[in-house]
Formats: sequence, C-alpha cells, structure tokens
Amino acid sequence: MTEPEALLLPPDDGSWRLADYLRRGGYEAARKALTSMAPADVVSEVRRANLRGRGGAGFPAGVKWGFVPPAGPGPRYLCVNTDEGEPGTFKDRLILRRAPHALIEGLVITAFAVGVPKAFIYVRGEYARTAGRLEAALAEARAAGFIGPRVLGTDFSLDVVVHYGAGAYICGEETALLESLEGRRGLPRVKPPFPAAVGLFRAPTVVNNVETLAAVPGIIRRGADWFVGRGLPKDGGTRLFGVSGAVRRPGVYELPVGTPLRRIIEDHAGGPPEGRRIKAVVPGGLSAPVLRPEEIDLPMDYDSLAGAGSMLGSAGIVVIPDGAPMLDILHLTARFYAHESCGKCAPCRIGTAWMLKIVERLRRSGGRPADLDLILSLGEGIRGRTLCPLGDGAAQSVRAVVTKFREELEQAVAR
Amino acid sequence: MSGAARVGLTIDGRPVEAAAGASVLKAAEAAGIAIPHFCYHPGLEIEGNCRMCLVEIEGYPKLELSCSTVVREGMIVRTSTDRVRAARKDVLEFLLAEHPLDCPICDKAGECLLQDHYGLHGRYAGRMAEVRERREKKIPIGRGLILDRERCVLCTRCVRFLRQVTRTGELGVFERAVGSELGLAEGRPVDNDYSGNLVDICPVGAITSEDFRFRTRAWFLDRRPSVCPRCARGCAVVVESVTGYPLAAGERRVYRVTAGVNPAVNGHWICDLGREGRREIDEGRLGAVLRKGVREPGLAWPGAVAGIAAAVRSVPAAERPGGVAVVLNARLTSEELALARELFVAGLGLRNVFFAGLKPGRADGLLLTAERMPNGRGVLEAGLSPRPPALEALAAARVLIVFGPYLTEHFEAGALGRALAAVPAKFLVSAHAGPLDRLFDAVLPVTVPAEKAGTYTNIDGLRQGFSRAVEPAPGVVPEGAVLARLARSLGLDIGDADAR
Amino acid sequence: MSFAPSPAALAEIERAIARYPRAAAALLPVLHVIQGESGFISKEAADWVADKLAVDPVRVREALSFYTMFRTAPGGRHTIRVCRNLSCHLAGAEDILGFIVERLGIRPGETTPDGAFTLTAVECLGNCDHAPCLQVDGLDHAPASRGSVAALIEELKGRD
Repeated sequence: MTEPEALLLPPDDGSWRLADYLRRGGYEAARKALTSMAPADVVSEVRRANLRGRGGAGFPAGVKWGFVPPAGPGPRYLCVNTDEGEPGTFKDRLILRRAPHALIEGLVITAFAVGVPKAFIYVRGEYARTAGRLEAALAEARAAGFIGPRVLGTDFSLDVVVHYGAGAYICGEETALLESLEGRRGLPRVKPPFPAAVGLFRAPTVVNNVETLAAVPGIIRRGADWFVGRGLPKDGGTRLFGVSGAVRRPGVYELPVGTPLRRIIEDHAGGPPEGRRIKAVVPGGLSAPVLRPEEIDLPMDYDSLAGAGSMLGSAGIVVIPDGAPMLDILHLTARFYAHESCGKCAPCRIGTAWMLKIVERLRRSGGRPADLDLILSLGEGIRGRTLCPLGDGAAQSVRAVVTKFREELEQAVAR
Repeated sequence: MSGAARVGLTIDGRPVEAAAGASVLKAAEAAGIAIPHFCYHPGLEIEGNCRMCLVEIEGYPKLELSCSTVVREGMIVRTSTDRVRAARKDVLEFLLAEHPLDCPICDKAGECLLQDHYGLHGRYAGRMAEVRERREKKIPIGRGLILDRERCVLCTRCVRFLRQVTRTGELGVFERAVGSELGLAEGRPVDNDYSGNLVDICPVGAITSEDFRFRTRAWFLDRRPSVCPRCARGCAVVVESVTGYPLAAGERRVYRVTAGVNPAVNGHWICDLGREGRREIDEGRLGAVLRKGVREPGLAWPGAVAGIAAAVRSVPAAERPGGVAVVLNARLTSEELALARELFVAGLGLRNVFFAGLKPGRADGLLLTAERMPNGRGVLEAGLSPRPPALEALAAARVLIVFGPYLTEHFEAGALGRALAAVPAKFLVSAHAGPLDRLFDAVLPVTVPAEKAGTYTNIDGLRQGFSRAVEPAPGVVPEGAVLARLARSLGLDIGDADAR
Repeated sequence: MSFAPSPAALAEIERAIARYPRAAAALLPVLHVIQGESGFISKEAADWVADKLAVDPVRVREALSFYTMFRTAPGGRHTIRVCRNLSCHLAGAEDILGFIVERLGIRPGETTPDGAFTLTAVECLGNCDHAPCLQVDGLDHAPASRGSVAALIEELKGRD
C-alpha cells in the first residue's frame, strides 16, 4: 500500500505515542523545516505538492498559506479544523486516536511556514473523549520541545490551544469556526475578506483540516515530487477514504488520490455483505450527491467527482444497499440540513425546513409527484444563494436522491 | 470625501462612478438604481443574511452580494437579469413562507420592505402548503416596544444596532435553523435612550411601538423633514402627521417623529427624547389668545400684538431701555433672533434682554447634548448675549414681554409670581399652555419649531435651515410674525415682516 | 440566587480565559467547565459567565441555545446520544433508538423520572465504521446492539 511517513494510521495499540512516532522518523520533517528551510520555501514546497484541503472544499493548502500577508507586527493565527461532522466522515477521528503526532508535526511546520506563534485546534464537542489522546500527545510534544517556546532550539515558538465545540455542524465551515472560537454562535461570515486577511480576532488566519496538516510532514521530508507521485498531478498524495454502510470491512483506507471508487468499496472494504447489492453510494459525505451503482467507476479525486455531478468532499464513502428505502434516505438528508442550518441566510434557514416539512408529510400521508418537483424547486431556490456551502450541500444532496430514485419515491408516496 | 479616489464601473449598461471602497449597492443607489434589501442598513455593519441584494457581476460564477462587494475599476454589474430576478423571487418566497399574511392588521403595512419588494419582485403563485412555525406574537421587550417573532425576518438590524450603535446589546438571536428567533436575556429588556430607532429600522412589522400601534395607517401620514429642537445637536427628524383641521377630540395630528438622515449630524438615528417630541407638537398647545389665563374668543393675535405695542408706547421713549424688559429663548430661529435683536436691542435700545430656557440635562455621549435648547449658537451668532433672567430686573419692569414658558425653569413659583405681580403690563408668547398663563395680561399662541421654517445653528456650529413640517392651527403664528408685527406697530422698519 | 463555581472549577475557568487573547473567546470552554461541574447552566450561572467574560448576557443565552450540547435545565446523571444519520441508519439506528425509548420509557429530549438518563437523538457522531453508534456521557459505545444497550443500561443503573 503506501509508505508510512505521509500519514500513518498504525493499529490502535498504543503506537500513537511519541516514542513510536519518533521511531518511525517523526518530527524529522519539522526539524528539517525549522533548521534548514526558509518559511517561504516551506510554502512553495507544499504548493508544488498540490496538497488540496482534505476538509471538503479541496482548496490547495500552499496557495491558501500564500494569501497570508507577509509577517507584520500584529498577531496571526493558525486554526486546525477538527469539527468533523459531515455524515459518513470519521477519518479525522482516527488521526486524533492513532496519529496525533502527525497532526502536531504538520501544525508545527505550517505555523512556522506562515509565521504563526499561536494555534487553536477546534475539536467538535462530541470528540472530547476521543481527543484525550491529542491532549496527551500535545503534552508529550511540549515536554520534548516540539511545541512551546523555542521549538527545537530555534527562535520559533508555538503555543497550541485545544478548543472544544459544543454541537454544531456548521462550525466546520471555516468562518463559522472562527466565530465560534471567538465565543459567538457559529455563523458564517461574509467573504471576502477571507480569513487569510481578516480571520480570528480580525487577524490574518489560516484554517486547515486535520488530515491536510497531517499530510504536511511527508511533503517536507520527502519532497513535493514524491507526494505528487503518490496521487495525481493536480491533486497530490494519498487520502483517507472512510468507508461505511453496507460493506464487509468498514473503516478508513489510506489510498492514492484517484483510486477508483469501485475498487475502494469492493477491493478494500470488501464490497457489500453476502446477498446484498449496492443500490447507491454517497462518495464524499452526505453533502456529496449520491451516485447510482453504474456511476461508481470513477477515480476519487476532486475533478473527477465534480465531473460526475458529485463531489469528493470529505471522501467519506457510504454504501447504501438494496432494500434501503430511498424515502428514508431523503428524510434523513433533509432532516440533517434543516437541523444543522445555522439560520443566518434566509433561503437555507427556511428552505431546508420547508423541504423537511414536505418530506415528513410524504412519509406521514403520502403525496403526489408534484411534491417531489416542489422539493427540487426549493433546492434550486437555495442553491447558490447562501453565504456558505451548507445550503448548496442541502440542495444538491436532496436533488440527487430525488432525481436518481424518482420512480421509487413516486411509488413510495403514492398511497 | 472630495479627495477620495473614484472608480468607474458599469451597472445595467450605464457608466457609473463611485468612491473607491464603496459597495456595489451604494454605487447603484447613487446612480438611481435601487437594489432591494432587508438586512443591509447604511448605518450598520454588513451582515449579508437576507440574500435579497444578490446581483450578477461579470467574471463571478455565482450571484454576489451587492451590499458587501466592493466596486472595482471596470466592474460590470447587472441588477435585473433573469437570474437576479429569479433569485429575488425565490428569496421572497422563502421569507414569506414563514411570515404571517397579516398585513391588514400589521402596523408596518404601507411601509414594509417585504410588501414593497413582493410587489416589485415577488408576484408568484403561493406554494407553501405545510404547517408554518408558530411563534410568540406580542412580546413586550422594553421601552414600549412590542416584538412579533412570526413577522421577524431575522435581518438582525435591531441586534446590530444595539451592539454597534448603543453598545447596550440587549437583543440576540436564540436557537438556530428555522427555530432561530429574537430574544432578550431574562430580566434585561431593551433599555436605552435610542430604543425607538429599532422600530424605524425594522424592515417589517416585527418591532412596533406601543405609541403608534393600531392608531393609524402609514399611508395616511404626511412625512416632512425638520430639525429636532429638543437639544443642541440638531438631528434631522421626520414629522409624520395627518393633514387637515379640525381634529376630533383626542385625535392625534402628529402620529410620530422618526429619524431623518443627516450624515453630518445624526447619521440615521435620533434619541427617544427627540422622538417623544411628537407630544409637544400636539399636546398642551395654546390655540387662542388668553387674557388673564382665560380664552378670549374675540381677540386674535394681531389684536394682542396691538395691546403689547400700546403698552410699550405708554412708556416714554427715554424710559424704555430700563422700563421694558424682554425674555427670549434659544428655541427661536436665527431669523427670529435677528428680528428680536433689531427690535429690542437696536430699535428700542432695551437693556434688559434675557434668555430663559430648559435646564441642561446630561449629555449621553452619542447624540443628546447637555444643552436642551436647539439654537444657543444662533443666539451668539445673532449678536445677542444669552444672559439668564434676573428676577429684580423683571419685577422692576413696567412692561414685560416673555417668549416661551421657561421662566419656571429659573425661578421658584412663589418668587416668580410675586415678581410678575409687580409688573404693570406683561405679555407671554408661548406655544404651550402652562402655569404662567394666568399671571400675564395676555398670552399669544405661537408655533412649535416643527410648524415653522427657519434656521438653527447646532452645537458644532452647523447652520441648518428647515421648512415647515406641520401646518399650524388657524390663528397660531410663528414668533417671527409676532416680532415683525410688533416692530411695525412701533413704527420700526426692520425689513421683511413675514418671518417665513 | 447567585452562582459561584467551585474553587477547582474557578481555577480551570481562569486558566481557560488565559489561553485566549480576549476573554469572550473562552465562552464555550467556560460553559463546558460549568456544565461539567453542575450538569447544566442555570440562568444564574449564565449571568455569572457573562459578567466574568465581560459580554452581554444575551450573548451567553445565544450560545446556550445554538449549541446542542449545552443544557439550561438539569438532565439525567447519564446522557445517551444516539446517532441516527446515514451510516447508523443503515445499520439499524432507528431500531436501537426505539429499543432505548422502550427500555427507558422516555422519548428523545427527555429525562427519566428517576433522573438517571437523558436521551438525545443526534446527527452524525463520526463513528460510521462502527455503526450503529452512540455515546454515553461522551464515551463511544459502538457498534451498538439491543443486547449491548440493554447491558449498558443495566450497568449504568448498577453504578449509581
């Protein structure tokens, strides 16, 4: 499979500790960056690696870092987005549990690259117990001089704070995360200005996903070319593909970007259990439009998924088996967005609730095909009219279920 | 402002110039192209939540917020394409899907942005057949304000106003998603002296005022600008009244005073003291000449002025400088003050010209000044000296002419009564009935500032002209007219007799 | 009634505030500390927090009602969060939830009369490869089955 340095998910047997991580070459990349590279060189190396954000939006990390204005006198921050909440996504949880030092090392390198002395790790509240290992790893790293004052004996210092959310999917959106971190309701901000210019406490801020940062040490240690070689030219490296639902071996699989979806499901996750067939696949978390079985022969990278009318998103793959009523899937999809909409933008606040009300009525007392058309139309009313992608996610995921399983839904609601 | 860089862009095919840093919405507005919006307010920070002001900008794949997008040189903006129209219609459909259709009983009807925008940009066949959210509809939130959560479109103008302008932060948004609703922290109602602005800025009927609720309809109101006379700030106000006389008993003429816009003075806000000024326009007014405190039906104001003139003439010219005393006030317009100076100082050579007025209050650091008279600077500019009245000088006068009811602010009632009793001929010129009325030989009814035109110079030295905002009752004239007629009666030529 | 955290909680709160450039940013951590100690955030506690962090009291109320993990009334000694989004749904989350509802005699959002359990149905808990999953007092219990849940409830009852 893959080499261990980029991102290691060792067995869950205690090897998350610093000693193990060091034995596998841990913190060598941090040492290399801090003692032999200029921050700008680190940024350009990561840019060359085409490391695209692993949170869902897929924005190239090096480019994002480049937006931060040159170091000035004021504060600047780095925020780690660990608000994993996209249904079907559980990869970041595994990094916290099994490879917290990979995250910390990536954090150190990134903070050095963008000149940040203070970082916040925003962990969703529900992960507080799981993040115990992260906190323990931070203590180890602090004691070993990998974070804190004068990292590795250099002039660079880094203070790291773990901040727990309290139950709000929207805080995974980077500006909502910043609002939440500042002690407010997690409502997305108007962009521009982007966080790189005006972010946490109005200071330049980089927000990166856990997996994105955990991929950084490998790039620095082995070089951008090595990283690109492990994935695709425009979408480098390996990714953590979470597979759940109707498969024999649910779990997280670290595979090159571009690995075909069908291979991930069938070869790695073992395919559907005996006697079950694939009815549908959600390829990148709930917000990624569902694919029909005949659509899953495609490489798992941002561009290919976009080309298929879906998205790679968080690469959380959920396999829906035959026998699962799509009206139920439609219901839980609509319910999720209606529950998690922050309520700021009118179309999302009201549109998601309206869609849910219709679906609930269809489940309760049936309806007509026109109800399905109305749902689609409401989705169109939301799409592209909201501040953040939650509205788009709601619209496109609902749309895919309705259009791709229309016949079944029409039968289900016609009573 | 004039030195700021300008940016050229195209909006709806028209070349438009805007200040660098301006929003597309402002640039369009300046060019006469209205972009509908709810949450945007020029006096508040951008929030971007209503999604009504989306426009097409060349080079951008999605529709963009015109309220937050900054103009760039060469930008090409389209505000009325099919895409933009469709977006507006959809946003309106969403907002109205969870908004009660209670316009017939809503105070905002007629001046509601939701109504206005629906008329222009909505007009769709209703599709909302689900059960709507039920919320509380009559929540007192303090200072006579009533919140209707069903009508609220969550634009958060009120929340932002309280956080950014008054910095009192009483209101917030609770819950989330479709459950989001405005609320207060328990036991902490809206309690600041700018609360009335919440009604002005609410784009719908979610926050209404007990003082206005269910009393009239917005479309009956005649809205005219004036300058607030209740402190020395000189805020722009809008006086909203019904026209025509007579009023039925208890009927209001002025239904409210709302904030006018004046970037140089008050921006978009006024204080509650200024807003409550609507009462003094209507309430406690003198409608006819009084003699010894009693209405004298046969006597109109010219006759009363003749009486003053006769009293003045009865004092030999050489004795007038000490024998005739005058009390003016700083609510008089600059034009009236100039007339008063010509008449009393230059013309009659009076030594005892005093100024009475409301006692200073507390400045609030926002708009309200400690000085509670609007034209103190105008007094100085007119070349008058704002001497406070001296009781002995008043008592020693043979003729006393007092403008305004303010002597009670300076003297205790008993002492004032005794002093006035010693004056053989005394006249009061006042807009409002008061305890002094029966102590004077005659009382002439005059206008309040909203009923006249003139100029005030505010605390910062800004001269602001204003026009008549409400028609005065028949027989009620501005002080300027009294002054001019008095001058004429005394044979003094001081120019234009009509103070208007 | 006024509120005061324990000396230990107060020390933790002070440490939390010191971690941020502005006290207001410590709102969530401070609420977590208080809820951890008291089980919920009373009105008095909310006002205490507002005062401590120098924020408008309404800001605290906003956060308490926006974030689903905070409680403004006492809950059970144990909180069971049952995930019911996609992967868990496919693995029978509704059946597990229904089983717990039956066992405890309460619906999601409610607390048992004896004050032992609060039940909530939640969206994704990020444990999809162990579906159906739930959390008890923040600890993962997955994959859950009728049997494992029944045993868990008994164990928790026995522990009290």
